[in-house]
This record gives sequence, C-alpha cells and structure tokens, in this order.
Amino acid sequence: MDPRKPILWVHEEALGPANPALQDYPDAPGLFVFDDAWIQEQAISRKRIGFLYESALSLPLTLRRGDVASEVLRFAERHGADAVVTSAVVDPRLQRIAAAIDRELPLWMLDPDPFVSLAKPPRLGRFSRYWREAEAVVWGGF
Amino acid sequence: MSRLPHAAPLSWPSESTDLPRDLNERSALNSLLSQEFPNASGELSPIEGGRAAANRQLAAVDAKRYGRSRNHLNGAVTRLSPYIRHGILTLAEVRDAVFSQLKQNNQGRDDGGKMINELGWRDFWQRMWLDLGDRIHDDQEEHKTGFAAAEYQQALPDDVREGRTQLACIDGFRNELVSHGWLHNHARMWMAAYLVHWRRVHWRAGADWFLEHLLDGDPASNHLSWQWVASCFSHKPYFFNRQNLARYSNGRYCQDCPSHDSCPFDGSYEQLEKQLFKVQPAIREGSARRSSRSSSRSGQKSNQKPSQRPNSRPSTQRF
Repeated sequence: MDPRKPILWVHEEALGPANPALQDYPDAPGLFVFDDAWIQEQAISRKRIGFLYESALSLPLTLRRGDVASEVLRFAERHGADAVVTSAVVDPRLQRIAAAIDRELPLWMLDPDPFVSLAKPPRLGRFSRYWREAEAVVWGGF
Repeated sequence: MSRLPHAAPLSWPSESTDLPRDLNERSALNSLLSQEFPNASGELSPIEGGRAAANRQLAAVDAKRYGRSRNHLNGAVTRLSPYIRHGILTLAEVRDAVFSQLKQNNQGRDDGGKMINELGWRDFWQRMWLDLGDRIHDDQEEHKTGFAAAEYQQALPDDVREGRTQLACIDGFRNELVSHGWLHNHARMWMAAYLVHWRRVHWRAGADWFLEHLLDGDPASNHLSWQWVASCFSHKPYFFNRQNLARYSNGRYCQDCPSHDSCPFDGSYEQLEKQLFKVQPAIREGSARRSSRSSSRSGQKSNQKPSQRPNSRPSTQRF
C-alpha cells in the first residue's frame, strides 16, 4: 500500500530534481539533515558543508542538523506522517540511518534512473571487466 | 562574496530551530556555518552548489575536447564531479546531455567515448561500494611495492597538510584542495603517488585528508583510487616523473619551484622504480603480462618489456 501522508528524507546522494522521491511526492514536506556525527568524525570542512547547504537550498526542503534518523522521525511527527519516502542509498552510513528510520516508521526507498541497466549484475573487481559488459548497453541508448 | 540563488519556497511552516533558508549572500552562509559548525575548517569554496550552478557547468561541457585534452591540467575537463557525487545531476542526466550534444554536432561515438567512459567509472565505483560496504576502508589486496602495509606511516605529515613541502607542484595542489575543494584528476594521482611512494604514507591517511576537503569526496571513488595508486587495488603501483608532471601541467610549477635543482621526481621510470620500491622481479614480470591484456590502464603495448613502465602515458584511472 502506498504511503498516504509521507514526508521525504532527502540525503546527500540525491540533492537534485531527479530525486525520485521529490518527483513522485512533489507536495510532501521534505527534509535534509546535516549529519553532525559524520561532520565531526570525518573533520568535514566548511567548503563541503556549504556546498551541501547551497544545493539543499535549491530544493524545497527544511534544513536541520543533528542525528539524522532522530531528526527525520521528529519531522515525520511534526507533520503527522505515516511513512518516510527517500531515494536509494549507496553509502553504508546512510543505509544504517535508513534502517534506524525504518525500525520506527515505514521507509519507502525509490530507485533513481540508472546509468545503465544490465540483465544480470556485472562482474566487478576491475573496471575493465565491468565496462566490457556495460559499454555496449550504455551506447545502445545513443 | 556573491549572492546566493533564491531558495525554493516551502509549502509548510518552518520552526524556529530549523536552519535558515533566507540567506541572501554567500557571506551570510559563511558566517552561519562558522557558528553552527565551529570545528569545520576553512571558508566556503568559490565553487557554488545547487542545480543552477550544475546546469551552467553542464552547458559548458565539450565531450570531444574533453576526450582530447582531459589529462592536461588546463584541459577541457568538466568539473561536474561535485554535482554528480551529490545527485544534483544524475549520471543518467549527464549521459543524455552528452548524447544530445553529440547528435547536435553530428558527432559520433568516437567523439564522446572518453566522456561516457568516465561516467562509467563513477557507476563502477558506486557498484563496488554497494558490493564492499565498509570494507572500502580496508586494503583490497597486498601492496605490490615490496613493502608491507605496516611499513607505511599512518599519519599525514604536517608539511604536506600545511603546504610546506617546498615542492611547488605538491604545495600548489594542496592549496587548491584546501581553498577550492576540487583538484584535477591528474593532480590527485600525482599527489597520491607522492604521499604513498615518495613519503611512504599509508594511502588511508591521504584518502581521509582528501575527503575532508573534496566537494566530490566519495569514499568509493576516492579510497579505491588511492588504493589503485598504492597498488592494493591494482597489479602495480602508479608513479610518475618530473617530465610527466611538467608535460601535463605545462611546466607551470617547475619554473619557480624552490626545489628546481633537487626535484625528487627527476629521473627515468627505471631509476625511480629502483629508488621507490623493493625489487620484486616475479611480480613485475607477472604484472606486465597481465597489463598487456588490459586496455584500461595505460594503453600499454603487448610487446612492451617488463622493465618499461607504462606510466609515461597518462592513465585513464579516475578518482
């Protein structure tokens, strides 16, 4: 069943209008949270935070800082939401945050348009192996 | 400082503890961040975030010129990486923009091949990250330098962090890294090779330092590329010499370098290899055979002798 009253969690891998959560739920309140623990532990410089801030400003998002999962759940409560919608994550840190949110409230994770769709997972390990399988498929769209 | 683009309007009320969206000037954002994140070092980058800035950068892409000149510091590189890393532009959007440009200019696959290939690198790194998860932080393989991981220094040397190596190139790259949060790919490779091979610093120290500063900082592409340079994600270490750096930087650093007459990068690849690595003939010969089948590394010819380094040519390796 689709969420009826979701909020959107926009994270740092999808700060653009192609974010499938923003595209599918344009009227839902959206949130971006600056991850205090990550900024502190990785000694993230002001440049990087500023770049994320400017990018988040170009989207309709409430901006907060702190513990990401807690802030997302608080934002959901503030809006009486029954679910959180976001886009697929790659970073294990974001995966852990997603799991923490999902323990409290249903989390819907939407896939963005892929760069290349392969029938089966490619062989990784070295770029050349992956590219032998992917290159022709990418250029198939040309 | 310049003005910030207008923030997208919100259709729901804000709370007083939300971070402000009504900032007009970049200087106001700079002040806000200094208060909110007092431990975050430095100032804003001159490189702007947001979709409008990303679109300007995308409109300036010339895929054909990129393919011809990308290994030169003043080449037609796209500078899209910060926007792609944070999904401000997706790989699919950039791919479609390149295809449109090629069609519009009556150009073909040969003209856009290198550019599409680089987008493939980004996709590859992300797939590797999904596959490896937190293991991205570990050595993927043993070093092929003759040195064990424990023989590499764990901390970043202060003179490198502070730009006091007296090497005009390395200090110049450091300054650009710290002030702009962006470096040309070749500069990243040179800097990584300098730290890992000349200073024998473990790749992780350099990789973490890069992530503090790079606007496109991505543990997958960054860490695995450092490991590629170090040789724990490749068959052999990457290194370079003065001639290579001077050629692709148009000699801009060497001219006034305080170490002009004592350049540690001066020498042939054979000389530098002997100086930097413990000799391991079995691995070298084996790696040369493997490389001869690989087109991704350096375009090395199959009849090349094992003792000849392929590094005299720019690699296609991407950070």
